[in-house]
Amino acid sequence: TKERPVHSSDLSSTTVIPDYINKYTAVVSMDQRQTYKDEFNAEYEEYRVLHTRVENITRRFHHLDTESRRLPPGTKEYQEVHEEVLQEYNKMRQHSPNYQVEKQRCEYLHNKLAHIKRLIADFDQRRAQSWR
Amino acid sequence: PVEGPMTGDANCVDEILKEMTQSWPPPLTAIHTPCKTEPSKFPFPSKDTQHASFP
Repeated sequence: TKERPVHSSDLSSTTVIPDYINKYTAVVSMDQRQTYKDEFNAEYEEYRVLHTRVENITRRFHHLDTESRRLPPGTKEYQEVHEEVLQEYNKMRQHSPNYQVEKQRCEYLHNKLAHIKRLIADFDQRRAQSWR
Repeated sequence: PVEGPMTGDANCVDEILKEMTQSWPPPLTAIHTPCKTEPSKFPFPSKDTQHASFP
């Protein structure tokens, strides 16, 4: 049973196949479906917490980015926004020193849970078709 | 007016903004469908749920 990696073009030089690809293969029974679902749920909460955290921080910086682009360089307001970016960045590093690690963990979980979810959806679809 | 006393600062800010505004996908939704025996397409309209345990 071989699943191909989801990403066809890897950014990094390392083309390591994530562990979950070999661990979670096509669902063939209701028991297996339940196991996969339980394992999805076991990590879903952690995923959502991390996702929300990253989302909030990203949103704050998107806002500042938009402001910065809107203002003409050299103006006082422009400079103030830049100051705010630095402040916000330092604040983030104080409150979430592991931000990058958390973000990577969240991306990993996102891909893993999406993979499991897809397998379950495929199984459900095959079952639904067999009911016709 | 490209260069100024705060050029280094500005570069730093640009770097931060670039790093911190990378696109972030919306969250995955949970797995619903607890269906045990029924197909996911339910043929009846679900207007009331009182018939949950009719004989």
